[in-house]
Amino acid sequence: MSDAEFLNINNESNTSLEAEESSAAADTHRVGEEYERQPVPQHALLGFGSFIGMYAGEHCAGTELMIGSLFVAAGVGAFDLVVGLIIGNALAVLSWMLFCAPIATRVRLTLYYQLEKICGRNLVTLYNLANGVMFTILAGAMITVSATALGVWFNFKMPGLNDLVPNSVGWVVAVAAVGLLFAVCAAYGFKAISKFANVAAPWMVLVFLTFGIIMFRQFVDATQAEIHSAGDVWALCKTAIWKGGQPLPGQTKFTFWHVMFFAWFCNMAWHIGMSDLSVLRFARKSWYGSASATGMYVGHFMAWLAASMLFAFQLHQTHPNQYMIELLVQNNQAKYSQASLEKSPLTPDLIKEAMQIEDNLVNKGIIKQVDKKVSVPTPLPGPLAYSACGLAGLICVVIAGWTTANPTIYRAGLAFQAIMPKTSRFSVTLAIGMVATIAAMFPAIAMKLLGFVALYGLILMPMGAVIFVDFWLIQKFGLQSNYAQLTRKNFNWAAGLAWFVTLLIGWALVKFAHVQIFFVSLPGWFIAAILYIILSRIYQKKIHSAENGLI
Amino acid sequence: MRIIVKIIALLSLFALILPSILFLFGKMTNLNQVKRYMLFSTIVWFIAATLWMWKKNNQRQENST
Repeated sequence: MSDAEFLNINNESNTSLEAEESSAAADTHRVGEEYERQPVPQHALLGFGSFIGMYAGEHCAGTELMIGSLFVAAGVGAFDLVVGLIIGNALAVLSWMLFCAPIATRVRLTLYYQLEKICGRNLVTLYNLANGVMFTILAGAMITVSATALGVWFNFKMPGLNDLVPNSVGWVVAVAAVGLLFAVCAAYGFKAISKFANVAAPWMVLVFLTFGIIMFRQFVDATQAEIHSAGDVWALCKTAIWKGGQPLPGQTKFTFWHVMFFAWFCNMAWHIGMSDLSVLRFARKSWYGSASATGMYVGHFMAWLAASMLFAFQLHQTHPNQYMIELLVQNNQAKYSQASLEKSPLTPDLIKEAMQIEDNLVNKGIIKQVDKKVSVPTPLPGPLAYSACGLAGLICVVIAGWTTANPTIYRAGLAFQAIMPKTSRFSVTLAIGMVATIAAMFPAIAMKLLGFVALYGLILMPMGAVIFVDFWLIQKFGLQSNYAQLTRKNFNWAAGLAWFVTLLIGWALVKFAHVQIFFVSLPGWFIAAILYIILSRIYQKKIHSAENGLI
Repeated sequence: MRIIVKIIALLSLFALILPSILFLFGKMTNLNQVKRYMLFSTIVWFIAATLWMWKKNNQRQENST
């Protein structure tokens, strides 16, 4: 396979941080259906440059527009965001280099085949099911992003930041139109859209950069700031763009640690979760994993910062509306006046206070629940991009969502098709596209994208720990690696239980110990690794005893 | 012919980002003008890059079969 073919095949899957890979079945497609069940031979290995282009293109997608904006909604400060992203992305690159690439360049097998050797075919099927479900939900978020662009043209009521269900007929119709278009295209013309994604990728990266450049100037003008040095730039960032403080109502406050762990783990399924075994098995050297830095610092640094500036400027320009002003002034005339509030930016504190007053009025029976009007500013990629770059920005939102949703729907289809091999790829892809469309109608998925991405990594991470332990450690404990292959088992219970119990413990940590989901994956990896060793010791002994008994 | 569309495509990317840089440094003050230039550059990019990259993709596929 030439460099060109490799890039072509890999770029077909294009973009997205979250969209990318993982499905074992999808992975086999991604590398051209070649060397599926054999190590990549020496002559097919590729140079460093092949991986640079692939990673840079993959991680600049529609969902970056949501993620960047949600950081601002989470009340992130400038230092926390910038330094958190620099360190978190560096840790992600190191994870590719030190976890995934060393195994990939030694075994040179796909994730699917490597997992099958360790876990057995049935457990891999279950892994595919989990992957397919996550892909479908993710595709829904991408459709949501693109559908917000239609709101600029048709002016229907868009969902709010804290909306869980669709709130207008216009929104449902827009999502249905966009989603069905994406689904049909993924089913009929996956390759054509993938080629189009290749064409769009360089342009899209520059439009993201333009968002940031234009927004920075807008902030300078709006704040009348004097910029003469790097210190002035940083001061503007701290005082106007990423001010920190309280998050918007309904959002989790993001600190440095949140940003760092999010940046590190948002692609956890790929590096620590080992999905990129399928890609990096073509690398000549394991340090080629460092090529992922292009994706991290273009998509997960520049694009996130630029997207966050779009929403930060919207917040900066928004003032309390007349209804809110009346609520606040009537409640506390000593503190507020009509004139002062008209000029004041809409802060999370003001919104919370107005909401509290409104709740009191509802409790007293003065207004009805349905008449509540205080709303939270919502990061809607379509209108945000339009305000910065006009039609070019709007086209970017549609294309970024489309080129990301296309491979995501396709891969979800492949993952499910691996479970139901007799069903045609066309009908499975179409069905997945429709399910994703229905999911996209529920804005909760896109508005809670930070949490969903963390959940995605958490769900697939334990299998990465299993692969890591099986490759590096298990023989040091006197146990067998690749146990399913060795014993011809279809379900390695040690690996299966390590996966399920880790998820159960993770869920318990979130539910009962109130550990935020962004921080569960790190202890989760160690839990999965230790569990796999302990359970393997029990399971392998049990199997041997049973076999000896039979003999 | 292909070298020409390649040059046009690359120039259109330069033209896409240049107005925003001029806007940043105050050399272009009308944001609507920036948006118009960006839209024009976008159209040129998609025409030129499609002619350049699509054909290249097809050639790769033909060569590989």
